[in-house]
Amino acid sequence: MTQPILEMRDIVKEYRGVAALRDINFDLRRGEVHAILGENGAGKSTLVKILSGAVTPTSGEIKLDGQTIHIAGPASARRHGIAMVYQETSLVPTLTVAQNLYLGDEKLFNRLRGTYIEAQQLLQSLNFPVDPTAIVQSLGTAKRQMVETARAVRLQAKIIIFDEPTSTLTPEEKHHLFALIDRLRREGVAIIFISHALEEALEHSDRITILRDGAHVVTGDAASFTRETIVRHMVGRSLSGELYGRAADGRVRAAGEKVLSVQNLSMQNVVRNTSFSIFAGQVTGIFGLVGSGRTETARIVAGVTKRDLFHGGEVRLEGASVRYRTPRQAVRDGVVYVTEDRKGEGFFETMSVAENMYIGQISSNESHGMVVSMTEMRDLAAAWTKKLNIKTLNSDARVIELSGGNQQKVVIAKALVQKPKLVIFDEPTRGVDVGAIAEIHHLIGALADEGLAVIVISSYLPEILSLSDRILVSRQGRIVEELSPDEATSEGVMFAAVY
Amino acid sequence: MDRPGFLLGSITVNPFRKTIDRWLGRGEASITVPPMDGAFRPNDLLDSAPAVMAVPAPDCLAMSAQGLVVSSEHSLFRVDKPGDAALASFDADISALAGLPDGGVAAGLVDGRIVFLGGQRNGETLAGSAEVGCITALAAARDGMLLVANGSASNNPVDWKRDLMEKNATGSLWRLDPASQARERLAANLAYPYGILEDVDSIIISESWRCALTRIASGGTGRTTRVLENLPAYPSRLSRGDGDAIWLALFAPRCQIVEFVLSEDHYRRRMTSQIDPELWVAPTLRAGRVPLEPTQQGGVTQLGILKPRSPSLSYGLVARLDGAFRPVASFHSRAPGHRHGVTSCLATGGQLFFTAKGDGMIASLASERLGS
Repeated sequence: MTQPILEMRDIVKEYRGVAALRDINFDLRRGEVHAILGENGAGKSTLVKILSGAVTPTSGEIKLDGQTIHIAGPASARRHGIAMVYQETSLVPTLTVAQNLYLGDEKLFNRLRGTYIEAQQLLQSLNFPVDPTAIVQSLGTAKRQMVETARAVRLQAKIIIFDEPTSTLTPEEKHHLFALIDRLRREGVAIIFISHALEEALEHSDRITILRDGAHVVTGDAASFTRETIVRHMVGRSLSGELYGRAADGRVRAAGEKVLSVQNLSMQNVVRNTSFSIFAGQVTGIFGLVGSGRTETARIVAGVTKRDLFHGGEVRLEGASVRYRTPRQAVRDGVVYVTEDRKGEGFFETMSVAENMYIGQISSNESHGMVVSMTEMRDLAAAWTKKLNIKTLNSDARVIELSGGNQQKVVIAKALVQKPKLVIFDEPTRGVDVGAIAEIHHLIGALADEGLAVIVISSYLPEILSLSDRILVSRQGRIVEELSPDEATSEGVMFAAVY
Repeated sequence: MDRPGFLLGSITVNPFRKTIDRWLGRGEASITVPPMDGAFRPNDLLDSAPAVMAVPAPDCLAMSAQGLVVSSEHSLFRVDKPGDAALASFDADISALAGLPDGGVAAGLVDGRIVFLGGQRNGETLAGSAEVGCITALAAARDGMLLVANGSASNNPVDWKRDLMEKNATGSLWRLDPASQARERLAANLAYPYGILEDVDSIIISESWRCALTRIASGGTGRTTRVLENLPAYPSRLSRGDGDAIWLALFAPRCQIVEFVLSEDHYRRRMTSQIDPELWVAPTLRAGRVPLEPTQQGGVTQLGILKPRSPSLSYGLVARLDGAFRPVASFHSRAPGHRHGVTSCLATGGQLFFTAKGDGMIASLASERLGS
């Protein structure tokens, strides 16, 4: 058996006496891909943050190549050959791609052109279509993640940790990433891989470790697991019926009144003359690859982004032509958008759960002008915390302290308190644990049953197939196909999205 | 919603903003067409419908004591006996047809006359008038009166394309007493009323140029309300089916290039004064037959991409509406199809018959296809 390159023994991490990790034992072999799975809050991120030096363990021992090491910080981890590709990218947004790649390794006299050439060669060797001279803040999430990956590869790390590397990538980009991971594996690099996409873990990892509630549950060869056994280990119960399966009766909701009609909408070369309708009482799923213009279209409808100044098309809400300059106008007309970037746009992280929800309310027609009622805020938070089963100590807890799934529920609550008639969910379950996914799916269905028009934008095909009463496929900036659940297959939808 | 003007109030700002909107192509000046999705999701069901009979330009269907009849140019034919000679022929083309409760048929002619065939008034003719000279649809009312849609005050039914290009809204709806020949105007300023359906206490008409169905209150008040608007094609005749189903024929698709031409007054004036109507950039019942046509029927593809400058100017479309006039299903003949220009449809005996006027064809869809 291959000797482990890394051993973590009896790792404990406590925050103010509350254990985030309890006696975790974990080992990693040279040249293997090791997936760590678990619900949000299970301790995966804490475990890998200890490795990357972002978090110091309360107790426990870490051995690298048999030698006990102390990882004092990220620089220390890097010196030990441990690199991490973060889920929420850690790049400097105002610098170029090349500058980010070589950040911290600058020479006394930098020759920028040389840096760009080296960066170009590195990115090309990895098959990443990223311009090294581009400013990072102009890049989409997928390309930022590519830069993160390239930086880890450049450091020639012995251990690379990927935290949700594929959540924003297109199938082609995923293919490139897994080819790269395979290459690194053959070169003897050990890889830790965190993902909520269980199929990826099953297909691409050699071993799988599952954590639950900060404790180690099981480690074994990937071949010995199935999707069902993984889910059972993760949540302690079987969720296969609740996740990604249509309701037992296979019911498809009938279309109600036409709520939204998007007509020949255009925005630069991202949204190209797209047209579609949305009906009340239905969940309309919009599937497409990253960059197919789904999010941008939704943001135009919700007043977050502006369409083209000249001949930008038309958005009709309940028959009337609308053109929102701010999201608040859209909210007042009953259109809410639940963002895909919850940490950046979804909530105020230093504010409490209650304050975040109340902010949603006071921007809607439900506000009382200048009057702010603390009692109303607390009552509102209590009601929605209970309704959406948000796990928090109390409504005064800061949102940043919650797990990803609960943060997402706060973002959803913040939207729903505005009493909308059209709700747009953009990647509603990205970075959310399986337990919360089932709850969010149930909530989305319940909203449609109440008669609301619901749009779900997702890059995860099983989610679209299981949730939608009607499926629209977006490609190259426009809706190209409409399918009913009866006729939609994974292959058919993907074919429409790609070709 | 589009907010009214700011600072100076909507009265002052709106004309200014309209000018800006027109320049920017936004708001009311947007050149957009509604999507064909949801209930209007395209299929090929009209093309798969078996042909019942082929006659030149079949236009309007009606049920009579002799069965289903269809108008074709200046003649009337029985649909169930395709080989038979014409039931009747006139000295002018037929522009509308209605089945009467007594088993007879009322036929509106392009010169404004209304001729009765069969039933109690067999052979009677009501003379045309200046007010009702463009009969586009007829319907028998429950009280024995005849409802007459007058498409335009200035154009003949044959010149429907010119009426659209002139952006007229001079149509009207009339109640006509066949016995006394007294007529009462129920509504005016309609944008080419092309279909009539009597509802419980009102009358529904299809307004082609507004792409909408409009309810006209009974009692002669002339009050109108929209029951369905923003249709993706130009609506024509309406008919009632089994249960609460309502059938609507739509004779040509809306497309951005036509909407653009409709927004360009100078161009349109020059086009209509100098060019043969068959070659106008306008909806048509059948496109793709004349090589000189300005667009080529959605047929130009380059590198696998359909060129946006070749939209289909003709199409075949029938929609089923529910009791609340909401579209629930539709049946299509797409750009390469051969059931274009549907001006009339009528459900009877578990089948839906429709006239593809552009392709000179009457076809029927079986009941099992209608629910799909």
